Amino acid sequence: MSGRAPGGLVVGVDIGNSTTEACLGLVDPDGQVTYLGTALTRTTGVKGTPDNTDGALTAIRDALARAGRDSAEVRTVLLNEATPVISGLAMETITETIITESTMIGHNPTTPGGEGLGVGTTCSVGDLAEQPPGQPVVCVVPPGWDFDDTAAAVNAAVAAGVDVVAAVLAGDDAVLVTNRLTRPVPVVDEVAAVEKVPLGMLAAVEVAGPGRTIRTLSNSYGLATVFGLDPAQTRQVSPVARALTGNRSAVVVRTPSGDVTDRRIPVGELVLHGAGKTLRVDVDAGAEAIMDAVGRAQPLEDARGEPGTHVGGMLAQVRDTMADVMDSPGLPAVPVAEIAIRDVLAVDTFVPAEVRGGLAGEVALENAVALAAMVSTSRSRMQVVADRVSEGLGAAAAIGGVEGEMAVSGALTTPGVDRPVAVLDLGGGSTDAALLTRDGRATAVHVAGAGELVTKLVHSELALGDREVAESVKRCPLAQVESFFHVRHEDGTVQFFETPLPPEVYARVVVLTPEGPAPVGTRHRLDHVRRVRREAKRRVFVVNALRALRQVAPGGNLRELDFVVLLGGSALDFEIPDMIADALAPHGIVCGTGNVLGTEGPRNAVATGLVRAHAAAAVPAAREPVP
Amino acid sequence: MTSTAPRQSSAARVSRRTEVLEARPVNLDGFVEEWPEKGLVAMESDFDPTPSVRVEDGRIVELDGKERADFDFMDTFIANHAIDVASAERCTAIPSVEIARLLIDPRATRDDVLAVTRGLTPAKVLDVVKLMNVVEIMQGMQKMRARRTPANQAHSTSARDNPIQVAADAAEGALRGFAELETTLGVVRYAPLVAIALQVGGQVGRGGVLTQCALEEATELELGMRGITAYAETISVYGTESVFIDGDDTPWSKAFLASAYASRGIKMRFTSGTGSEVQMGNAEGKSMLYLEIRCILMAKGAGVQGLQNGSISCIGVPGAVPGGLRAVAAENLVASMVDLECASGNDQSFSHSSMRRTARAIPQLFPGTDFVCSGYSAVPNPDNMFAGSNFDTEDYDDWNTIQRDFQVDGGLRHVREAEILQARNKAARVLQALFRHLDLPAITDDEVEAATYAHSSNDYPLRDVLADLKGAQAVMDRGITGLDLVRGLEAAGFHDVAENLLMVLRQRVSGDLLQTSAILTPDFVPLSAINDPNDYAGPGTGYRLEGERWEELKKLRHVTSATNPETEVG
Amino acid sequence: MTTPTAAPPQRTVTLREVGPARRGTRPDEVVVAVSPAFAGHFSKTIVDVPHAEVLRQLLAGIEEQGVTARVVRIRDTADLAALAHVAARLSGSGISVGVLSRGTTIIHQRDLPRLSNLELFPQSPLLDAPVFRMIGSNAAQYAKGESPQPVPTRNDQMARPRWQAKAALLHLKEFECIEAGQGPLEVEPVFGSSAAG
Repeated sequence: MSGRAPGGLVVGVDIGNSTTEACLGLVDPDGQVTYLGTALTRTTGVKGTPDNTDGALTAIRDALARAGRDSAEVRTVLLNEATPVISGLAMETITETIITESTMIGHNPTTPGGEGLGVGTTCSVGDLAEQPPGQPVVCVVPPGWDFDDTAAAVNAAVAAGVDVVAAVLAGDDAVLVTNRLTRPVPVVDEVAAVEKVPLGMLAAVEVAGPGRTIRTLSNSYGLATVFGLDPAQTRQVSPVARALTGNRSAVVVRTPSGDVTDRRIPVGELVLHGAGKTLRVDVDAGAEAIMDAVGRAQPLEDARGEPGTHVGGMLAQVRDTMADVMDSPGLPAVPVAEIAIRDVLAVDTFVPAEVRGGLAGEVALENAVALAAMVSTSRSRMQVVADRVSEGLGAAAAIGGVEGEMAVSGALTTPGVDRPVAVLDLGGGSTDAALLTRDGRATAVHVAGAGELVTKLVHSELALGDREVAESVKRCPLAQVESFFHVRHEDGTVQFFETPLPPEVYARVVVLTPEGPAPVGTRHRLDHVRRVRREAKRRVFVVNALRALRQVAPGGNLRELDFVVLLGGSALDFEIPDMIADALAPHGIVCGTGNVLGTEGPRNAVATGLVRAHAAAAVPAAREPVP
Repeated sequence: MTSTAPRQSSAARVSRRTEVLEARPVNLDGFVEEWPEKGLVAMESDFDPTPSVRVEDGRIVELDGKERADFDFMDTFIANHAIDVASAERCTAIPSVEIARLLIDPRATRDDVLAVTRGLTPAKVLDVVKLMNVVEIMQGMQKMRARRTPANQAHSTSARDNPIQVAADAAEGALRGFAELETTLGVVRYAPLVAIALQVGGQVGRGGVLTQCALEEATELELGMRGITAYAETISVYGTESVFIDGDDTPWSKAFLASAYASRGIKMRFTSGTGSEVQMGNAEGKSMLYLEIRCILMAKGAGVQGLQNGSISCIGVPGAVPGGLRAVAAENLVASMVDLECASGNDQSFSHSSMRRTARAIPQLFPGTDFVCSGYSAVPNPDNMFAGSNFDTEDYDDWNTIQRDFQVDGGLRHVREAEILQARNKAARVLQALFRHLDLPAITDDEVEAATYAHSSNDYPLRDVLADLKGAQAVMDRGITGLDLVRGLEAAGFHDVAENLLMVLRQRVSGDLLQTSAILTPDFVPLSAINDPNDYAGPGTGYRLEGERWEELKKLRHVTSATNPETEVG
Repeated sequence: MTTPTAAPPQRTVTLREVGPARRGTRPDEVVVAVSPAFAGHFSKTIVDVPHAEVLRQLLAGIEEQGVTARVVRIRDTADLAALAHVAARLSGSGISVGVLSRGTTIIHQRDLPRLSNLELFPQSPLLDAPVFRMIGSNAAQYAKGESPQPVPTRNDQMARPRWQAKAALLHLKEFECIEAGQGPLEVEPVFGSSAAG
């Protein structure tokens, strides 16, 4: 590191998973740095591969242009030693609800009719006239029956003495029919497969008043009373009662062996290698069991899933992708066997799924496990990138330092931060932590699961059907559009507008994107959407922050950390930094979003760190940072 | 909806023959009686004005029975900008029958006719064409078409807005002979990617093909100014003041937009057509053709080089009234006889009956127009985002056969499978390389393979729409221009395609494409009314399908060899 | 299971005039506005859906949601957006449904610009009884401040050759029935049936 001309420009370049950042500094012979500018662009190709060259050059040129400098003045370009990190996501549904013998209808239509409980024998509306008087009857109405005709048929039967106590309809007609009955009864509608309702069986129909839920059919002893069950039978029907809890309306038919079962779906094993052990865990055991196994196999050396399952496929694909990425012409190929899964994050989630055997498209929230996995390799192609940058720019380029250490160094330029300091880089595919101890030793880890997993959880738990919407739900606060001229924000405050809002957001839950309010296609209320979003962030970022920090903290003790600085794109999120700070506060840690150089926010830490490290190396005596 | 629904609801017994006739596709088409008082009439109406013109102090003060004080803004615009004041009184005084005869008289040149038509009022033009039957209209078109060489235009769209499909179909379309390619979108935000795909695919198929992307006016103009598209067409004009106002427009605002294109050397034409005014209930009691003639003269007055007409998206209206298709043929003729480029319709789903679909195109195909179809669907109609065309990819062989049967040039040709596959494959690969260079969402090798052999959008792997839309936005945000595409194509190693696109972009500097009826040959020679004027002067003159081109059009998919009848040629 | 065997009776409707339409005060009402020739000069839509059925299904969709409805006849315009906007301003909830004789339908809201809409169903040949029911249901849900999924719209490329000219003709005829200067009229739909079976 000798023979440099004094007063040259130095550019630090950080190639990240999604963005490439540059920091331009003027380094005096005595190690003083004057920062001239920064730049940010999209990373080209997978981080750590030769494709990064274009993005790196763009960032360097941008930074130079902003500072009004020319590339001829650049003395050296410093790249971070970045190893490619590839992450993958998969989800396995692990439970399944099955209704046998059409024993129950529990789809909760928005507008049932009437109120109360009716118990009688099921009978088609067309056969009502032939029913003997005095026997309680539940009228079943197939598709194609007009509401006026249905009401007329029931009224005629009642007038003839038939005791119609309830009705089950195919169409969305419950209120219409009830309004036309001489003697109103509870009516459940929108039962699409109404023809599968067994006829001639004892059935109970219950409808609660608006804003209330059913009381009898959701209570095992209520069912026992209605159908005259003995204790053994009551035990058998208790899943039916549970499945109907919280509904405003329901139908239960007493059939010889009708049942509702909640079955676990075997989705194979996850095999974890690490700490000299091989642990096997069933994926359907859930996230807690999986993470427990992962904890016992630390440091994880590899993981494999069952072929033919989502998780197995995902793990294999992550490995293959890495092999492809590392496969660059002129360099020795990396055998797939050498590529290992280094971390796994499992999260319990649920997926709204149609119930098998249901008559009305009943939806049950099935349990699922989402898995994020991450592979990194020690082989980096960064030297190739450095050579190409050097060629493209006409200036020297070298690897200036390891990513984690550089991030910490850059984070130290945040006002109010001192060693020992840990950084948390909240990215898209992985969450990274690095620690710089008081005596200058640095350690770094990557853990699987970050922004993309949050999007996936939001997407599936809300059944949004559109990843773009899920992405904006994650990024932006919510509001309820209450009129064309005002919205209620998720914190309850009201904002008024001068010009009317666009018609497509009227009365909807919206995300307040920078481009304006965008509708969220869901029937859920704002509170629910907000809860799902925050839970997803907590289960990924808060859990991973603790996991990653424990891995770098001396002795795994979080109390050994003093300062935690949040970096990366997700550190700009409107609530994640607060959620992590709240979780770390009990450990006596000062945690906040970084402000690199006092101006850059959580951006540019690595690039800045590279310039600082270079300056410090120039004057071996002057180890103290000079921001 | 339209595939079922028997018309006969009464229980009265009908003959077997009636049953057969009832089942014919033509009976799924709709037909209505005329209602001239409301403008639901093709071209023969007692409520149309009588021709008249009076000039005072170099200004038209009376137009078709109306004093200047009573002019609506269409009258004002036409009187001020479209009619040659110096010859107006003299020309309008010529008996209509004389002018009609001039149109079909081989001894009168095209210029002789133009010397008269430039001084005619809208009602006078109508009075002239009303005297002509459909064969005479075709004779007139044969002489009055501005460009000597006829051509054709295609729609290249995708039901999924899949850019790879658009590129491959554009390449095939260009190879088959279309001189212009047009696209539009289902999801408008996809536009930048699809416009790029059309431009690139077109240049792979045949250098010099011109492309456009139909969008709302501001975005369409921006894509044109950036050189991502080469021309514009969907600038609609209407025949009554009220319909214009409903669209928040005036003739002046449209003329202003036209000049914006001209200022950048970008070719453009207006769009209009019979039936649009009555469709919107604002025909003001005038016949469809009279109102269309006002549109044509308005376009002339705005100084644009051409017009897309032939009812276009309202074809169901003239198609349903008596003599409607004669009026449609006449409106194409009127555009040509006032010296405008005419892109002559045949571009919208028109009939359930194949016979009607074919017959509808005869008045344009047989005499030849500047663009016989202003949108032949170069994709299967379910992929056509202009709501379906009168002809689509399934009609290619029929069209080629009709050209050969009648020895007429409809702009297309039969191309051998190997050549088509090669062009489709190359278009997809070029787009793949260009997207990679521009850091746009990746195109996989599977997609390239699919594009090579595909028929419709269903044959392609699904794209990551979210990533594509972000890429499309990036094209706009990063200010990517046609020159960036050229640079990218060159860097990706497709020098020939880069060269083709650069040659197209250079035209906007020379301005040659602003000339009437301009297209580019494969050698990038502009072919327009200036250097390829229609010189028809009776039998044996004008454009003749002969020589090399005729040999080309003799080829079909299956033609038995005369030398060895056990084999096929081609 | 059996379904009704006799052919369903052809339902009819007459719109009994109640008086000039007034602004409603109930927040739980939707106003349905019909055009000048609806259930008067004309009796069915462009695809022969009886106006009785159109109105019955719209009202049923509203009633099923527990919302009340009023019907008004707009006499001085046959412009769909305009007549629905007039009705929206009469509606206690601010929500209206406008329907033309040929079947074209719109859901409108008081605070929207006249030419805008909450949902528009421009392709009259594709609207049948179940669609009218869903439109009524959605309008009522807007009135309750809920956010219904928009009614799926259909498309048919061959609607043009079959229906474009007839639509224009019906449009012109409807305009003939406009009574300039006549304000909106509150009407009561009286349903009947003509010759059952």
